[in-house]
Amino acid sequence: MLEKPNKLRIALICGAVIGVVSATPGLSLINCCCCAGVWLGGLLAMYLYKQEFTEGMPPLESSDALMLGLMAGVVGAFAAVLVNVLILVTFGPIEAELVRSIAGKVLDRMSEQGSLPADMVETLKDQIEASIKDSGRMSNIFGGLFITLIVYPIFTILGALLGYSIFRPKTPPQTTLAQ
Amino acid sequence: MKFTKRTYLALLSLVVLWCGGILLAPAVSAITPGVSSFLYSFYSPICHQTDARSFHLFGQKLGVCIRCSSIYGSFFLSVLAIAVTQRFSAHSMPNRLWIMLAILPMVVDVLLTFTGIHVSTMLTRVVTGALFGSILPFFVVPPLLEGIAQLRNQYLARGGFVYARKTQ
Repeated sequence: MLEKPNKLRIALICGAVIGVVSATPGLSLINCCCCAGVWLGGLLAMYLYKQEFTEGMPPLESSDALMLGLMAGVVGAFAAVLVNVLILVTFGPIEAELVRSIAGKVLDRMSEQGSLPADMVETLKDQIEASIKDSGRMSNIFGGLFITLIVYPIFTILGALLGYSIFRPKTPPQTTLAQ
Repeated sequence: MKFTKRTYLALLSLVVLWCGGILLAPAVSAITPGVSSFLYSFYSPICHQTDARSFHLFGQKLGVCIRCSSIYGSFFLSVLAIAVTQRFSAHSMPNRLWIMLAILPMVVDVLLTFTGIHVSTMLTRVVTGALFGSILPFFVVPPLLEGIAQLRNQYLARGGFVYARKTQ
């Protein structure tokens, strides 16, 4: 009997997709909708993995979805941090200047309209400045990695399991559940 | 206790922890701002956390927005419902058409808002989020329990847990 397809290659491809989607400004907004970019990555991994199956291979099982989701999530977390750092190094000063300029204009307008008191505007500007400086700190990058290493695998596992439920074979393999 | 039920209880604990963190973020903001700040940071990669689009507790926004809160709240209730209905097996999963029907209203609501055709309201966010969150566990929890059992069986078949079995 043939062996099941290799999960690592699919996990690397989908992890890279998750990383790019999650770290690219604009594209990353998709994750604001319940981490949709990440769980769709898990779903994509399951779809691609199912396509690799041929006749004579053991059937697709839910444990495959579990492992594939976990691997894609871990790869995705590292890829997201890597892409984030690359963007920060390459476009960091331009991006920071853009944020500073837009936020400054919005706050000034709110102050002119009387929506915000002048001292509050100054406090908010200081906070924005501090967050721009903090974004490049190593502690923030590793803090982000710590959180994404927990969150991303949870959502990719959910996506892969959902993918298994959608793409599962019509007669799933029998498994003894309780031991 | 059977292995599946132990796994289910562990999963339920994780869901309680996840939902509890969402409520805890505003609840402890006055007592321990550090913990509250960490919890808000923890949920920040998965939600926009906009104040105007969030439920509030003690005058502070929850860890996630209205739509996400509805999804996680109904997810938790459905995970409880799985225990009540004993639908632990992957063979008892509903027709896959249900998940399409559950996700469609939320996708339509989000897309219409993005295109500016219709602005989502608190009601549409709660209803569409709760619909998706309540159906999702019936599609992910049974294969999750089955998958963990399969991994355990594979590990046992390779000779794992030998020491544990000898000591029992």
